[in-house]
Amino acid sequence: MIRKKPVTIDLNSPKRVDLTLKQKPKKWISNLILALVVLGLIIYSFVASHIKLNVRDFKPALKVMINGFLNPNTKFLFGLDEASIPYLTMQTVAIAFIGTIVAAVLAIPLGFLTARNVTGKYVSKVGEVILVVIRTFPEVLLALVLIRVVGIGAFTGVLTIGIHSVGMIAKLFAESIENMDRGPLEALDAVGANTIQKIRYGIFPQITAEFLSISLYRFDINVRSATVLGVVSAGGLGTPLIFASQEWNWPTLSAILIAIVIMVIIVDQISSRLRAKLI
Amino acid sequence: MNKRTITLDNGKTVVKPRSKIILPTIIVGVFFIICSFFIPISWYSIRLKEFPVILIKMFSPAPGKTWADYFAYLPTLKDPIMETLRMSFIGSLIGSLAALPFAILSAKNIVKTPWIYQPVRFFLNLVRTIPTLVLAVVAMFFLGLGPLPGIVAISIFTFGIMAKMLYEIIETVDMGPLEALESCGANKLKGFSYAVFPQILPVYLGYFIYNFEINVRSSVILGYVGAGGIGLYINENIGFRYDRVGGIVIVLFVLVVIIQAFTSYVRGKLQW
Repeated sequence: MIRKKPVTIDLNSPKRVDLTLKQKPKKWISNLILALVVLGLIIYSFVASHIKLNVRDFKPALKVMINGFLNPNTKFLFGLDEASIPYLTMQTVAIAFIGTIVAAVLAIPLGFLTARNVTGKYVSKVGEVILVVIRTFPEVLLALVLIRVVGIGAFTGVLTIGIHSVGMIAKLFAESIENMDRGPLEALDAVGANTIQKIRYGIFPQITAEFLSISLYRFDINVRSATVLGVVSAGGLGTPLIFASQEWNWPTLSAILIAIVIMVIIVDQISSRLRAKLI
Repeated sequence: MNKRTITLDNGKTVVKPRSKIILPTIIVGVFFIICSFFIPISWYSIRLKEFPVILIKMFSPAPGKTWADYFAYLPTLKDPIMETLRMSFIGSLIGSLAALPFAILSAKNIVKTPWIYQPVRFFLNLVRTIPTLVLAVVAMFFLGLGPLPGIVAISIFTFGIMAKMLYEIIETVDMGPLEALESCGANKLKGFSYAVFPQILPVYLGYFIYNFEINVRSSVILGYVGAGGIGLYINENIGFRYDRVGGIVIVLFVLVVIIQAFTSYVRGKLQW
């Protein structure tokens, strides 16, 4: 783009504002093209989706739904056996928790492998590719594959979350290793520390807090995805959730949703408090 | 004198701080043991040998078929992929636009009255806790099968996280320009659109693309319950046509990589 020659502006001139405004680069052509492209995308998406509103009569359906939601299935909600909500909620949290710990442990070597300042340019690329593949493999599909291997149940959920979360935890972990301050390491070198001492006193104190905070953040996400994984019968609240919602069994669905909301809010609060303390 | 104190040459003593790691470790350990009671493991049903078998089944042609057949399946996925992209795009767009007013209402530095921003935040928290899947199923109750319930679910889901991400960004903007405009007599709306909005716009666009990427990935689970998109095809083929599932995985992988490359390109342009 051809820029106009900068004009010196007399600060005392009454027109100085206008002159400054004139110097603003004119980008209206590229802005117009961008706007047209976005507009075209929007129109295309709406038209090509063949959205047709074959809406049923809302009112009775809505009435049934609201009625059901206001009368949650209390027998299910407060039951104490293995097929009722308190047990399944705890199981969901347990899947997320153990899965996150498994992932965090696996992420330590992978994180070091992917950090450019530890293993160098080429080896770290290998780690990066592994992590991208893990992250993009859909979680639900992984669960479906693992069900064939370890059978239906909560253990499948643990393994799925354990494997899938490694992708993100190790990536963020590698980034925090890359951003590490090299000063302490040089200082330890100067006083003659060996490698183990360097790791213990130079690297650990710098990355532990961040590593725990990353894992906690992922635990937060995993509590939510543990619910979804139940849909493919990998344990937890998801299995009754999907059955209830496919039958449109509103009282049961309402009970499960209450449990999910309470569980997620509690976990959210605890993890954000802990993370605030860590940083 | 115990081991924790060190006497320096000048006679001063330094006390080594107590390690802070023991108590959290114990808590995590106890919680781990409690959790493990909820995870029944039946060692009999574990067949580790199956794992490579399934992977081979997924990424090689079915028995009696050639690699040409394997790759001939991929072009037929064009329509569901396009449908997934369209659903994610519309959903992200609607959700992001709807999130803006709610984000403003729940930003502490713009709305200074707690009885406005607290309820709005609570509402947003509530929306975020509902799984996308449930949103999709409830939407299907009213709207029937097809992409529309998927779009509704994606919109609501995007709305929830977008509003939260946005108000956190709004709270970190530089308040100087806003104060300057207000001192010139601009009202709240004008002040916001000329002083705050330009500051958050690049981040807003970045988040939009980020959400789009999340939504493309979550379309797997949406299709699984019948709300349109590529997930439908996974649901149809899982269990007996592993080669096709593998093909879908490859296509999804390529798609996500392309979107990620696009995202980082745009982020570079937006200087974020």
